[in-house]
Amino acid sequence: MSRICGQQVVRWSLRLSPSLALKSAARAEQNARQFAFACRMLCSHAHESQTSRASAQQHGSELTLRILLDLGFTETQAEQVYEGVTRSLGKRSTTHDTSTITALLALGLNSSSIVKVFDKCPALYTEKGAVVQQRMQNLCKLGLVEGSIQRVISYRPQILTLPAKKVNAAVQYIRTKCLFTAQQMRDILRDSPEVMEEDLKHLELKFQYAYFRMGVKQAEMVKAKLFKVSMEELRCRHCFLERRGFYQTPDKKGQTLIVNPKLKDFLFTPEDVFLSQFAMATKEELDMFRKLIAREDEEKGKMLEYGDIEEDKEEDEGEEDLTDFRRGNMGHMGYERNKRKR
Amino acid sequence: MAVQTNTRVLLNKVRGILQFIQKRHRVKTKWAATSPKLSATDLALQNHDVMYNMQLGELWPSVRVGLLTEQKYGALVNNFSCDDTVMYLQSLGCQDFIASSLHMEGSKAADSVIPPYSESLQFDQPIEGTYTDLTRASISPNVKCFVFPKGDISRFKPARPDSCGYLSYYLMDAASVLPVLALNVQKGQSVLDLCAAPGGKTLALLQTQAIRFLWANDWSGSRMSRLQRTLKSCLPSELCSEDNLCITSLDGRKWQEVGENGTFDKVLVDVPCTTDRHSLVEEDNNIFSRSRTKEKQSLPLCQTQLLLSALQAVRVGGEVMYSTCTLSQLQNQCVVEQAMSLAKEELGISAEVVDLQPFTALFQDTFYFAPDMNVGVMVLPHLTANFGPIYFCKLRRLS
Repeated sequence: MSRICGQQVVRWSLRLSPSLALKSAARAEQNARQFAFACRMLCSHAHESQTSRASAQQHGSELTLRILLDLGFTETQAEQVYEGVTRSLGKRSTTHDTSTITALLALGLNSSSIVKVFDKCPALYTEKGAVVQQRMQNLCKLGLVEGSIQRVISYRPQILTLPAKKVNAAVQYIRTKCLFTAQQMRDILRDSPEVMEEDLKHLELKFQYAYFRMGVKQAEMVKAKLFKVSMEELRCRHCFLERRGFYQTPDKKGQTLIVNPKLKDFLFTPEDVFLSQFAMATKEELDMFRKLIAREDEEKGKMLEYGDIEEDKEEDEGEEDLTDFRRGNMGHMGYERNKRKR
Repeated sequence: MAVQTNTRVLLNKVRGILQFIQKRHRVKTKWAATSPKLSATDLALQNHDVMYNMQLGELWPSVRVGLLTEQKYGALVNNFSCDDTVMYLQSLGCQDFIASSLHMEGSKAADSVIPPYSESLQFDQPIEGTYTDLTRASISPNVKCFVFPKGDISRFKPARPDSCGYLSYYLMDAASVLPVLALNVQKGQSVLDLCAAPGGKTLALLQTQAIRFLWANDWSGSRMSRLQRTLKSCLPSELCSEDNLCITSLDGRKWQEVGENGTFDKVLVDVPCTTDRHSLVEEDNNIFSRSRTKEKQSLPLCQTQLLLSALQAVRVGGEVMYSTCTLSQLQNQCVVEQAMSLAKEELGISAEVVDLQPFTALFQDTFYFAPDMNVGVMVLPHLTANFGPIYFCKLRRLS
């Protein structure tokens, strides 16, 4: 049965891309035990019946400690994975298959990083191997090359639990709304895959803040790994610098009276470096400022909300046709409201 | 003959002014659409950046962020209110900065706290104990002003009328109580408030409950009515009788015409200035708007005239408190020095600057005082104690 796992490793490697397969084969060579095992499985178990093979190919093979050991996990690793699987799947299904693990192996991840991946994202245990495989292919298609895809998955395995459609939609959204080039989008996906899980409206807001309020261009945003930082932190650091007189919003020609510090310099530095090199302030001051700016934003947000409500009211009163027309934009809300009225 | 020459001269002049230039020779000015539109608050910020960067140097960024962020308020307790305001304010978690600094031991007050602007601050030399004690004793115990402790950003609720119909406290910049405290009004003295509106300092003066007679004056009628409203909402009517309180709306610069010269024990002049914090926030009626440039430029002159009036109004041996809410040296130290020299040369009034260092030493853990001030005292805004800016300087009339 474990032969099938080996087969899957090789087959999926081939399906992913020929270069990847070679690479993974090369890697497997390094991992001699694993490779030998895979070959042994392919050759020796010829007597197994055709039907069981077919069914196993569909669902992967049943997961046991033995198979995990055979796949190259050490004993402790195998136990850890096995425990995780039984815990997350519970007693709902009696058989667990190895397809997800084999898919990850096919990608070229070694056993220890697979354990880490499962640690980070236990939800991955319940995903079907074929689906995971398909999502990986999708990521490849989006431009993640050999090397970066492995890094993305070991850094943020949650990306494999997202449907490919959703990932594609998010990528499309960011590219159309924020006008990133394909290369920049690839870099964003590589550096901060967590954007795929975020609320896209928030992402757009963060982009617009950086673009219009701070006057930063797309290329610099990608370099600064803007999407890794929360909106609050971005706003706090920018406003602190601005109000201290060390940052100016460029005019439409991109000119400022002072030389602005680079976004990538002050956004990702630790707080003490930020304070001593860019803001020239004490920690006390920044802490106070963080509190104050949070309250300022909160109050502004409240005012905006009230504004929205008022707008909605106006719409309700006057132009019913307009709300009908806008339904597409507003999602279900407008539709439901109209329905209730009737 | 004379008439003829006059007309000739006139004609020449007119020709000079109304020289006709043909259209094709006229320089066409650029349309304003391309020039950037700057709001008055932006202009104010630019002006501050240039002026105060030179003046304050490394302190300016901290002051700037303080000015641009929300200011901190103090609640001046109304002693005439029927409710127990002190208990209520204490339950909010704030404390009376005046009482707490008075009760602190002299040595402790001077040493324990290191203010952020302290690098060049000259509080190191020990202040003589008796001197500090004297200062402490002279501060009126009736004025209570509550503030939230450092690092606390909670706000006071707007005061509501209590059971007797008076407001229990009045919200104002806590630093503007300092000039009133430093003026140090004694029992039975008569006080003139030359620029009283909108009434915060006047109310603080009245809270000392030591004044025999207070004359509150402000040139602007509308601001005066605001002062009257404030006083009415805080004071019982018997205190506002004509014997105790006189409210007028005269031009303070022409005070000598009133004829009340050399009669007051104390005079407070809180002059109009380029209110630094306010002009960065409020677009309406901003002093930095282009239409008020002339007015802005003539401010130091107006301030000098007001201070001169005050020096005339005070009796010999009496004291004048000059205060502004700007950081600008031109409107602070320069005005004081100018007024003192003018008073000596033209009016024959000599005055001396009273040293306020023992006074500021008492409050240095609540406020941040600017270091290296030759004349007077300045409270700088800072994020952890966002009061001010306030400048005040005490003068004593010698002759």
